[in-house]
Amino acid sequence: MAYSHEMPRQANRKRESGNRYLKNVRKHWMLYLMILPGILFYIVFKYVPLAGSIITFQDYQIMKGIWASPWVGLDNFKFIFSYPDFWKVLRNTALIALYQLVFGFPAPIVLALLFNEIRGMVMKRTYQSIFYLPHFLSWVVVGGIVFELLATGGIVNVVRGWFGYEPVLFMQQEKMFRSIVVISGIWKEIGWGTIIYLAALAGINPNLYEAAVVDGASRWKQTLYITLPSLLPTITVLFLLRIGNFLELGFEQIFNLLTPMTYSVGDIIETYVYRAGVLQGQYSMTTTIGLFQSIIGFILLWIFNRLARKTEQGLW
Amino acid sequence: MKTTLGQKLFTVVNYVVLTAAAFTMIAPLLQMLAVSLSSPVAADSKKVFLLPVEWTADSWIYILHRQDLWQSFGVTVFITVVGTLVSVLLSVLTAYPLAHAKFLIRKHVMFGIVITMIFNAPLIPFYMTVKSLGLLDSIWSLILPGAIGTFNMVIIRTFFMGIPSELEDSAQIDGCHDFRVLFQIYMPLSKPVLATVSLFYAVGYWNTFQRAILFIRDSDLHPLQVKLREYIMTPETLEVADMLGNIGYNTTTLKAATIIFAATPIILAYPFLQKYFVKGAMLGSLKE
Repeated sequence: MAYSHEMPRQANRKRESGNRYLKNVRKHWMLYLMILPGILFYIVFKYVPLAGSIITFQDYQIMKGIWASPWVGLDNFKFIFSYPDFWKVLRNTALIALYQLVFGFPAPIVLALLFNEIRGMVMKRTYQSIFYLPHFLSWVVVGGIVFELLATGGIVNVVRGWFGYEPVLFMQQEKMFRSIVVISGIWKEIGWGTIIYLAALAGINPNLYEAAVVDGASRWKQTLYITLPSLLPTITVLFLLRIGNFLELGFEQIFNLLTPMTYSVGDIIETYVYRAGVLQGQYSMTTTIGLFQSIIGFILLWIFNRLARKTEQGLW
Repeated sequence: MKTTLGQKLFTVVNYVVLTAAAFTMIAPLLQMLAVSLSSPVAADSKKVFLLPVEWTADSWIYILHRQDLWQSFGVTVFITVVGTLVSVLLSVLTAYPLAHAKFLIRKHVMFGIVITMIFNAPLIPFYMTVKSLGLLDSIWSLILPGAIGTFNMVIIRTFFMGIPSELEDSAQIDGCHDFRVLFQIYMPLSKPVLATVSLFYAVGYWNTFQRAILFIRDSDLHPLQVKLREYIMTPETLEVADMLGNIGYNTTTLKAATIIFAATPIILAYPFLQKYFVKGAMLGSLKE
């Protein structure tokens, strides 16, 4: 490598690489043609909306459109921060997200460990098939079932009646709502969530267990010192992915469990944005809330990724 | 391996816990089915527990005669069939170049796609985009805006990258161009993975709800999930004549029947499909 020739070489290389791409297009034009619809899709339905987020700096008016609406700088951010509804909705979202993380995130790990202790293949498959099923049902179906089971004449109140308890209006009570969200979420996704952990469990070297048995380690000790540490990288990655969407709870679940009676505890960012934005046309304000949600997610991801890199490996 | 008493005890407890939990996975569906097949009096007087009381198929006969339910069923079948075809085709066409080193810009394109997974556009600009394309109240708004699922496309790409390039080289020496290589060599070789991805897409389309309430006002174009939600939230639309007393259904039994109706295709397809799903979920997790 002769350093003295660096400059002219680089220029040369640039021209060459430009040529390289042109040649590539000419030689493999079919590949470019093939991917064209896909690229169009990503531009139209991913990048254009991303660019459209610019209305967060506007007072967007439907009649004027994006080109003629007045620019307002950071007014929308100032507005939402001084808006009581925003803090209520943010609080609801953050609390439900936190409960889901504390109770919902570990649930599939526990279930995967229990699956792992089943010895017979057929038994294991049977249990798995049963637990995967709810994942494929829509939230409308699951929400409908939850409403029916928890109705005054529903099965839960029937069972309560056997023990002499009065029926409870579960879905209309504020203090019940978040628990119902967390439990129904676990019910639907616990089985499906085990798949990745089971794949990681299958990858553990059996020699480790054999050596542990020789050393006299009990099954519990094996779980504690071999199984869990082997799962840790998988757990970390899934945890980080979850953190990145911390405030995105899933519109369909909450929307299908929510009633006006539980708005005060259950109205989350996504349901609020739908009502205030799509139904009432407050485009700029709700876009700002949506952006705020993404920014929080990104900051959390960045912080936790740094923390994760200190002990384990992070996402990047 | 010696088994101690503690281990035996654990095994028993494990089976008991798993069986009880498995029961809670099935019981809600059984209960809905039982209610839908019970008489309205029994359903409302808290007698039904997992088995129908005072058997009657009246609720089912009633909902299966509802024109609007079949209309929305038709919409859902259409978007499931056409949407899955469109999605699989687009995903395959996108995955093939991205799986080839000879496609020089593949890293750039992949980067651009991954960005969209991290930075999701807020709902309103997404809505405005679809609106400005004139897709509101069009059945295509239920298909096109989500036509490629990045996760599914990456699964296909990962599989394509594992196909030995010798196959392709020899085909190209014989004068096959890329489209023929894709359709006549790659796609037949990737049948299992294509089956998995098709099913992922199909379930997604079958369960379409949010996009429909965002983009569709015209009730003739409402898919099944929206119709079901309407029945659940405003049972008046079910127009029950149960004040007459001698009819074998009411809103409770009808709601139960529509819930089972909407879930049935998934449940029927499930045993036969689930092995593909699990493979797909694992393939997806192995990317990188």
